[in-house]
Amino acid sequence: MRVVNALPAAVRPPGLVGAPAFADVVAEHLDAVYRYLVYLTGDRAAAEDLAAETFERAFRSWRRFDPRRGAPRTWLCRIAHSAAVDWFRAEARRQRREETYSRDEAFLEESVFSEGLSPELERALRRLTPAEREVVALRVLLELDGSSAARVLGISTTACSTRLSRALKRLEEEMTHVRT
Amino acid sequence: MSAPDRSELDGNEALVSELRATPPVAPERLRQRVLALEPGARVRMSKRRRLTLVVVPVAVVLAIGAAVIHGFVSSGSNQKRAMEPSLAFHHLTTAHGSSATGTARSRARLNVSGKSGNQLRQAAAQAAGQPPAEKTYNGPFYAAAGPKVTLNGLEQAVTIPTNRLVHADASLQVSVKGHAALTKATNNATQIVSSLGGYAQSVSYQSSHGGEGDALLQLRVPVQKAEIAIGRLANLGTLLSQQVSTKDLQQRLTSQTNGIGSLKRAIAVYEQALNGGTLSGSERVQIQIKLSNARHAITQLRRDRTATLQSGATSNISLLLTTRQHAFGVTHHGSTRIGRLLGSAAHFLALEGIIVLYALIVVAPLLVLGGLAWWVVRERRRREERLLASA
Repeated sequence: MRVVNALPAAVRPPGLVGAPAFADVVAEHLDAVYRYLVYLTGDRAAAEDLAAETFERAFRSWRRFDPRRGAPRTWLCRIAHSAAVDWFRAEARRQRREETYSRDEAFLEESVFSEGLSPELERALRRLTPAEREVVALRVLLELDGSSAARVLGISTTACSTRLSRALKRLEEEMTHVRT
Repeated sequence: MSAPDRSELDGNEALVSELRATPPVAPERLRQRVLALEPGARVRMSKRRRLTLVVVPVAVVLAIGAAVIHGFVSSGSNQKRAMEPSLAFHHLTTAHGSSATGTARSRARLNVSGKSGNQLRQAAAQAAGQPPAEKTYNGPFYAAAGPKVTLNGLEQAVTIPTNRLVHADASLQVSVKGHAALTKATNNATQIVSSLGGYAQSVSYQSSHGGEGDALLQLRVPVQKAEIAIGRLANLGTLLSQQVSTKDLQQRLTSQTNGIGSLKRAIAVYEQALNGGTLSGSERVQIQIKLSNARHAITQLRRDRTATLQSGATSNISLLLTTRQHAFGVTHHGSTRIGRLLGSAAHFLALEGIIVLYALIVVAPLLVLGGLAWWVVRERRRREERLLASA
């Protein structure tokens, strides 16, 4: 393993006085990005890889990042979204290639989203689509406002709001269904 | 969070609080992995990409700029171009300085656009500083001793020197009206050269029912009569284009003559020495070898001199009689300067394109091989991955 703090603290977007250093951004937003990806993919290992890839991509384009155009968290979530979409495509191809693909029930029983969640909520979250989980993660977990979440998803604010309310409603329904 | 945002979560407070209570936390190994990113490598990649983004547009701009500048330079001004006949290349190439051995040949190119016949001769003489060894003239021509030939209203002349040994080559394109005129002109051309002491080396006549026809005549005329012949042949119809080139053989002839004289004297000396009887055996052998070499050289030199004289005796005239009304091999880019500029720039761009295409053709097999190697490596890796997945 390399030295933990290999990133120089002064790596900042050029010409932007007062912009945060990349290491600070990592420290502040790594958890948020990881949460978002866990919810989006429903797979912790994949979320870990994608989070690393996200920050790698972010670091590559860090010099072009302009904090005046958006918060670092929104920018990172956009990159994470793009990386996750690529991952979903690759997964779909892989599943097509490997026709025997099937989810291991034992694996499904494991806690993916959080150890502290109730089993009903955990199962209900699994039953949601990635798009529904994504909007829940952005709005509830990461507490992004409607416009920022909409920017990450690439949809309008209204559509984002609609998707969130449907996702929450479905989550409630699934929890009720699981309980009964 | 704003008020409207908060309202979207209303009614789900319990769910929201449960979700927020225990969010997943990034493992420490992920944190270390992200913080261990190396800035140096990323910066280098960024520089490479930036270099590509700069170099490619700059190369394209330079290519187009070079084409435009080439077009601008070669198009010339309207005033200058107006003086030029439109059917020929309009330049005089003078090569001089040919030494006795035929080496150290230097060339001076002289543009005589729009100059009169006298100016042309003066310019050629100035450029040469001595009698020109080789002179090529493409454009209007009239023979001093023959009938005057005009082209596009211009009267210009190039004389073929008769006081020196020269070899002349001429190429004419003459337009005639109809088949009958073509046949008549062909016969007349043969008669003209015969009357001047020359002959037609070959005549190729071709006509079609469509009305078009051509006759190509390869004529040989004594150099002294070449100007007259060219003048008369040009008058067989409408002169479309002509090219006259002369090559001075006098210097070569003089050199060969001097060489023969020197060798003769050397041979005489060698023979005298051999007949003297004062030489030792080895000296005699050496002198005999030198004598033999000198005799061989003089034979060769005499042969060359005869060829030079023969070459300077006749001029070659290539006459194309045609029923078409335009010259072959002449390009028109338009009458305006912008038209010429665009045409010339397009030609230059096409040339650049050809060069790029050639480079691609050369590089393409290497790219294909590289791609093939990459594909083989990838397939091997995939096979390994499949093997590991199935294990």
